[in-house]
Amino acid sequence: MLLQTAALPPLAQPIIIAVAIVYFVIVAAIGIWATRKTRTASDFFVAGQGIGLWALAIASMAATLSGFAFIGGPGLVYSVGIGAVFIILPVSLTNAMGAWVLAKRMRLLAEVRDMITVPDAIGARYRSRLAQGLAAVAILIAVVGYMATNVLALGLVIDAIFGVGLTWGIWIGTLITLAYSVSGGILAGVYTDVFQGSLMALASVLVFVYVLEAGSGLSGISRTILGTDPSFLGPWGKLTPLAALSFFFVFGLGSLGQPHVVHKFYMLKDPRRLKWYPLIMTVALFVTLLLYIGVGLAVKSLVVSGTMPALARPDDATPTFLLRFTPLLLAALVFSGVAAAIMSTVNSFMSIGAAALTHDIPVALGRRVGNELLWGRISTVVISVIAALVAQASGTLVAFLGIFGWGLFASTLVPALAIGLNWEGATREGAIASITTGIVVTLLFETLAYYKVYSFPAGVTVSGLSLVASLLVFLVVSFATRRGDGAAIDPDVRLVMEV
Amino acid sequence: MTRSLALAALFISTLLIAAAYGGALVVQPAPSWTAWALMIGTSTIMLATTVLGAARSRRGIGRLVVPLAAMFVVLLVGFSAALAMPEEAAGSPLWLGLPPRAAVILYGVGVLPLFVLPIAYAMTFETLTLDEADLERVRQMKHAGGRS
Repeated sequence: MLLQTAALPPLAQPIIIAVAIVYFVIVAAIGIWATRKTRTASDFFVAGQGIGLWALAIASMAATLSGFAFIGGPGLVYSVGIGAVFIILPVSLTNAMGAWVLAKRMRLLAEVRDMITVPDAIGARYRSRLAQGLAAVAILIAVVGYMATNVLALGLVIDAIFGVGLTWGIWIGTLITLAYSVSGGILAGVYTDVFQGSLMALASVLVFVYVLEAGSGLSGISRTILGTDPSFLGPWGKLTPLAALSFFFVFGLGSLGQPHVVHKFYMLKDPRRLKWYPLIMTVALFVTLLLYIGVGLAVKSLVVSGTMPALARPDDATPTFLLRFTPLLLAALVFSGVAAAIMSTVNSFMSIGAAALTHDIPVALGRRVGNELLWGRISTVVISVIAALVAQASGTLVAFLGIFGWGLFASTLVPALAIGLNWEGATREGAIASITTGIVVTLLFETLAYYKVYSFPAGVTVSGLSLVASLLVFLVVSFATRRGDGAAIDPDVRLVMEV
Repeated sequence: MTRSLALAALFISTLLIAAAYGGALVVQPAPSWTAWALMIGTSTIMLATTVLGAARSRRGIGRLVVPLAAMFVVLLVGFSAALAMPEEAAGSPLWLGLPPRAAVILYGVGVLPLFVLPIAYAMTFETLTLDEADLERVRQMKHAGGRS
């Protein structure tokens, strides 16, 4: 399970509540500022193509990390050991890889065309409204699922901090995020992400210092764990090598198909500023993920040594560690950081979901919405309300929806977008076939697993298999149709692919 | 040429990953070769995709061959070591605070490329990624009406 779906321990203490309130006030202030600057659909969906390098990098980092990095991830490390690190291990490669493969070409596409969405790039690359529409449908399905899971996680965090109950937590969290997203659009999202991302990085570094202190350094933590459970510190932890490596494949290559991050390349004011993007993004992610590894290992060591009782649930690792081993103010910062991580992810999904609904799907049907700014705002509300209702509906349904989001994005967008923008031999037929394959394989096998009809054996994931299947279909169909009309590329897009 | 090679490597590595998953689907518990196939396939597909993105038509990847080859070696050696080295025990030595295999994975695969690839990207940006002349060509294309 990659996202928070179980209750956290109660956190309702005056300092934690006060810090959370201050945090929400700052977010609201940024939202009000951004609202005044949002006048067009371009402002709403791509921040008027006017953001700087630091804003791009930190906002991308914040959008990449959900609450899982702070709660679910450390819990996973606590329960399965080093193997859980394979989810975040590709970070050392993926930002440079994304910069080479996508950043320049996406940004230059926005230079020659009026690009608003990721499916816009697919439509332009293949001269195909169908490919654009299919990509938008895949994004919309994944967005609602991802958002529902994140909204549930936000509800749990708000309930833990304010003690308002899960239902109120879900709706308060949704309304706060909606308030700045619907008025200030992605501009509000980007600048709240900068604030939220900085908060996340700061909190993570500080917590890591306390991790080392509580566990008597990394050597102390390792010695304690090795004494009773050596396989926990093996490279795969409690996972099989195949399962751990499968994580690396899906989260490594799959990072090229995450629209909430890729979409932000359009927003950079000057493409030449991309020079330092991978370095800033990688360092920001690296320091923010120290908490993910550190807390999971430290709590395991503290439990093994008898300093802490065994946890009732793995997801209690971070809250329990913070409340017992860090100053209350730092704990409060981290809990706000958790809310920040979730809200920044939800905001990004709101934006790309609304754009798919008001821009891509009408374009695929041969129509254009008259006032995209107005309809973008309306769509944001509609998608958010649906996600909140789904979050309330059923815990297992939410978990099901959340699981396949990453895989659906990866299998539908990596071949057609990431490979297709760098291979002139890719064809329209190949793109349509691979996007369809990604949608069908992911939904079919996740649904069969959900209803317990058929599950893959240990080590094989639906995300991994659907990514491989869509890649193979893309390559084979493109090769087979390379001499047809679908291989044609517009001159401006060809130039972007050549430089 | 560089892009064609990268594409061929991409295709072969995808087949290798598919074979690994196929092997695990057919025989349980998964045979040990499946992990090796997935490891080699994943390392190769990451390299091939990066080369495909970094290569510019007719110009290849130039000096980037060094950091990208280094990245590939780090992945292959790191994962191979994790698969082949002896398992941990209570008295295992520690490398920078971690047992050897975990250290190889976390510091080798997880940290080392962090200091190489983003810096290689920045150092070669103007010469191998985006120069002023190319940007100007793109902007002129837009003014010239682009699509036709």
